Amino acid sequence: MEGLLSLRTELTSECGNTYRVEKLLGAGGQGEVYDVSCGSNHYALKWYFKSSATETQKKILDKLIEKGSPTKNEDKDIFLWPIDLVYKAKGEPFGYIMELREKQYKGIVDLMKCRIQPSFLNLIKACYNLTKGYLKLHEQGYQYRDISFGNAFFDPDTGDVKICDNDNVTPNNAKEGGIKGTPRFMAPEIVRGEAKPSRNTDRFSLAVLLFYMLMVSHPLEGKEEAKIKCMDPAAMRKLYGTNPVFIYDPDNDTNRPKPGYHENAITFWKMYPQYIQDLFIQSFTVGLNTPAKRVTENQWLDALAKLMSGIVKCQTCRAEMFYDDIKGKTGHICWNCGQTVKMGSHMVIGKGKKAVHIPITSETKIFSHHINGDYDMETIVGEVVSNPNDPAKWGVRNKTSQNWTYKKADGTQIAVASGKAAGIAKNVSIDFGMVEGMFE
Amino acid sequence: MSEVIARPGGALASRPLHFFWVVDCSGSMFGEKIGVVNNAIQSVLPEMVDEAEENPNAQLLIRTLKFSTGASWLTDSPVKVEDYAWEDLEAAGVTDLGKAFDLLAGQLDVKQMGERALPPVIVLLSDGQPTDDYKKSLTKFQKLPWAKKAVKIAISIGQDADDDVLLEFTGNRELVLQANNAKMLAKMIKWASTAVSAVSSGVSNNAEENNQDDDASSPDASGDDSDKNDNNAPAQPSGGNGPLILDMDNIPEPDDAGDVW
Repeated sequence: MEGLLSLRTELTSECGNTYRVEKLLGAGGQGEVYDVSCGSNHYALKWYFKSSATETQKKILDKLIEKGSPTKNEDKDIFLWPIDLVYKAKGEPFGYIMELREKQYKGIVDLMKCRIQPSFLNLIKACYNLTKGYLKLHEQGYQYRDISFGNAFFDPDTGDVKICDNDNVTPNNAKEGGIKGTPRFMAPEIVRGEAKPSRNTDRFSLAVLLFYMLMVSHPLEGKEEAKIKCMDPAAMRKLYGTNPVFIYDPDNDTNRPKPGYHENAITFWKMYPQYIQDLFIQSFTVGLNTPAKRVTENQWLDALAKLMSGIVKCQTCRAEMFYDDIKGKTGHICWNCGQTVKMGSHMVIGKGKKAVHIPITSETKIFSHHINGDYDMETIVGEVVSNPNDPAKWGVRNKTSQNWTYKKADGTQIAVASGKAAGIAKNVSIDFGMVEGMFE
Repeated sequence: MSEVIARPGGALASRPLHFFWVVDCSGSMFGEKIGVVNNAIQSVLPEMVDEAEENPNAQLLIRTLKFSTGASWLTDSPVKVEDYAWEDLEAAGVTDLGKAFDLLAGQLDVKQMGERALPPVIVLLSDGQPTDDYKKSLTKFQKLPWAKKAVKIAISIGQDADDDVLLEFTGNRELVLQANNAKMLAKMIKWASTAVSAVSSGVSNNAEENNQDDDASSPDASGDDSDKNDNNAPAQPSGGNGPLILDMDNIPEPDDAGDVW
């Protein structure tokens, strides 16, 4: 494939680095992406088409490079952020340097086309990590503007993610920047031409992305979509802009998924617990027309953390199931083999709507977010272990440096020091400091 | 981690996108011109495959129609882009453009197009004057609902092409692309193939404000809504009346250098 830049061209960056063009990796709406080398390291270079190589874009890039990635100080940098600029003079074409996306990161399109088969756990981790990325952007006052298939990637074996195309990122409500978004992901008010991208339109696109990832279907494509013979711009404008109806709107059943057309939506929707369905209902009913009421990243993170914590494997076929507190311990039927899935002991952390049910198995881990509410679902703070003196007895080992308090039903309290384990028994709780976990 | 049962469900539901190459194979195309067409279309196919692989909303189907003395389809039915093998065309005979429109009309019939699809893309390549009475056939073709919805692009090869005829076909002067030399012809063929991504995404990705003032046009292709495409207005391709907004910024600049035919 022939690109704008000849192979082996050497380009000098604003930092004074020399990058050699090695290979054209792909092209998009705004430019081309190359594999470039600098010494023994390889990077990605996005080189803009003439129409996109604007001074506004250059200014946006300067600011992004100066500030650095929103997750640059974390263990895993989620963003393929601009790190250097190849720019000669005003009016001349330019581009920016970022890290290369490693091969294990696959596109959402790979998921949509079933070219990858992540487990539910890793898929939900990916949803969680992407949401966290957009949260970090919004926390720093940015908006992403174009959350869609093409710029979010994940590792199907771990759920780790990368967000690219960050050159569209601008301060929230900024006038600069031209990207309005991608069809099917754009908020209805943008489709109708009434609004420009903002943090709240990002939140609509995020809900669409999460719906696509979890349900492999579009939240507004039901009977109304099936009626359309030719999906032309006027039809799309109606479906996604002037007359959008959520396929599972509890108060409006006119646009339910149509069997034979929208099978994935029908299959997946009923698998997810009510608290996940509720967030999609909020996103695509009240959130359709009231941007300020769209589901926030924190709401998604709480729900997704709960969802991944509540995964149970069917005892008969090992298929992954989601614990749904509404169904209780006996109401879970396996989607794969049809058998009733037995729900064993749980630790219930927190109270009310925010309570997280963690099914206890020999593999169970408790993460920092469970006890600190810090959205860290990587750091293990507790793990299920068997008692070396009596392997039939199980406990939860304290992996933190703080003492926990073990509370028995009779009121007895025992300190659980770092490295010690607290026995699992009914109606016994562990006070983690900020929250309590009760065994049920 | 232990193996788990694969998640249920299948691929995202998508719609067929019918892409038609309509190639003038009359005697005047003999030699270099048809050679360039053969090479350029064959070369652009792998890029169309790549594009299709990254597009979850469309199933790209290709067909080629040749016309000279008479007209004929190269394959009996639409072929998935990844399975499509270009068959070199040869040039001889007259320019029966009307016959080509008749065959196209047969395929753009509501029955043939199926229940649901994306707007079809038709790329017509021609270097000369029609030798048959094409008008009647064109009018018949233009009345079809799917023809109205189609993205129609013409590539005018060399100086002798009848641009007025091509304009009648596209309804839009900007979609009559000029290819006055081999290099431009290859470039225009490549650009026309990008109409695929524009169709499946509905609008150009980085479009500026696109003021479609009302959406009165029915999404139902079988409806008998009046012709929204103003066939007499060649200008303003990206306004609300066109069937589709192509990114006009990226049409290759006309290039007069080199070998003019």
